[in-house]
Amino acid sequence: MKDRIRKITLIFFAAIAVAAGRPGVSLFAAAAQEKPPASAEVRIDNFSFGPANVTVAAGATVTWVNHDDIPHTVVSNDKLFKSKVLDTDEKFSYTFTKAGTYPYFCSIHPKMTGVVTVK
Amino acid sequence: MKNSENEQHTIPGIRKDDVIVRDPNDDGVDRRGFLKCMAWAGTGALCVMRGGVLTSYGLSRLSEIGPDKAAGELHFVQISDSHMGFNKPANTDVAGTFQAAVHKINALPVEPEFLLHTGDVSHLSKPEEFDAVDQILKSAKPKDVFYVPGEHDVLDDGGKSFLARYAKGAKGNGWYSFDKKGVHFVGLVNVMDLKPGGLGSLGHEQLEWLEADVKHLKSSTPIVVFAHVPLWAVYPQWGWGTEDSAQALSYLKKFGSVTVLNGHIHQTMQKVEGKVTFHTAASTAFPQPQPGKAEGPGPLKVPAEQLRTLLGITDVNYVRGKQTLAVVDSSLA
Repeated sequence: MKDRIRKITLIFFAAIAVAAGRPGVSLFAAAAQEKPPASAEVRIDNFSFGPANVTVAAGATVTWVNHDDIPHTVVSNDKLFKSKVLDTDEKFSYTFTKAGTYPYFCSIHPKMTGVVTVK
Repeated sequence: MKNSENEQHTIPGIRKDDVIVRDPNDDGVDRRGFLKCMAWAGTGALCVMRGGVLTSYGLSRLSEIGPDKAAGELHFVQISDSHMGFNKPANTDVAGTFQAAVHKINALPVEPEFLLHTGDVSHLSKPEEFDAVDQILKSAKPKDVFYVPGEHDVLDDGGKSFLARYAKGAKGNGWYSFDKKGVHFVGLVNVMDLKPGGLGSLGHEQLEWLEADVKHLKSSTPIVVFAHVPLWAVYPQWGWGTEDSAQALSYLKKFGSVTVLNGHIHQTMQKVEGKVTFHTAASTAFPQPQPGKAEGPGPLKVPAEQLRTLLGITDVNYVRGKQTLAVVDSSLA
């Protein structure tokens, strides 16, 4: 009996060891690493969006916060969303329900651009 | 004072070396002299083109010269980027510095005929901001002011407030032209309908209007174009340029003298390209860094005692005969 338990235990741990060695399988927090975040914050400062590229899950809300000493806007290239003018410390949020790529820019300073990728 | 190109000028208090009398192209414009004069602008010099000779006078010596010599025939002042409503550390009193600019204008030895404001009148397009500017300008001696909007002036739905206040009788998004003493002025708008990743933009409709507007003018007509964003590529990485300015300038190729006055970059910069002189004005609110010298083109914080040396007005003189305008910057300090 003891032998059998020992054998099964060995086989069990061996199986885990093999599984752990396989690519794409992790025993710890595998699910969290693969799924994009459910929310994100973009910091506006020094005439740039940081990070300029952000990836979120469908249904996620992205919040832009203006830390610059100059007002900016957040405007989707495809006119899907448009913030009011954001002065220092003002925020704008948008919830992305559908997967896709959403480029945006500041309509006051159009050289400032960013992309939200929704998976 | 005689104005023949080969004579020495004898203006009391002015050294021989201050006067430039070379004219290699025989077109009345001494380019090197003009550029040398521009380099003095930071210390406050007035350059006047009279009879083909560019002469400079230190501003501190103007009282010795007398109004008729300093006047030229057409005299106006460009102010820019007042950003009324801005209240961050770079300048917590933009109304005060704007008032100082008006005092400077009122102290000029010859009263300018009018003012050109090259935009960013307000900081957030708010009515109270425009009101504050109008109020301060009531104390300016020149009563005529011509405006073009900056991007900060059109934040409300296509610039309705700005256009209603300052662009009555203008076409489209606020462009227009007028004549003063034989000089043709064109106010252009390059801050509307901006495209992602782009620069300033004039747009098709405005360009068509411009082409028609100048088509029948004699090539000897001096042209002054004023617009907010520079009409040359000062620094595209920071949006300091206009996508379709080359097309605009192509309509002005036939003219013997074109002066382009811009704002937006909050520092003085000039460039001469053939018969076109480009000039940007300082802001009356806050300075910005030189191209590439900071992470971004935002307000440059400087020690309080230095601020007014980096803000300023631009004095422009035109004398009939040689068609070139003399453009001089002076700081508020």
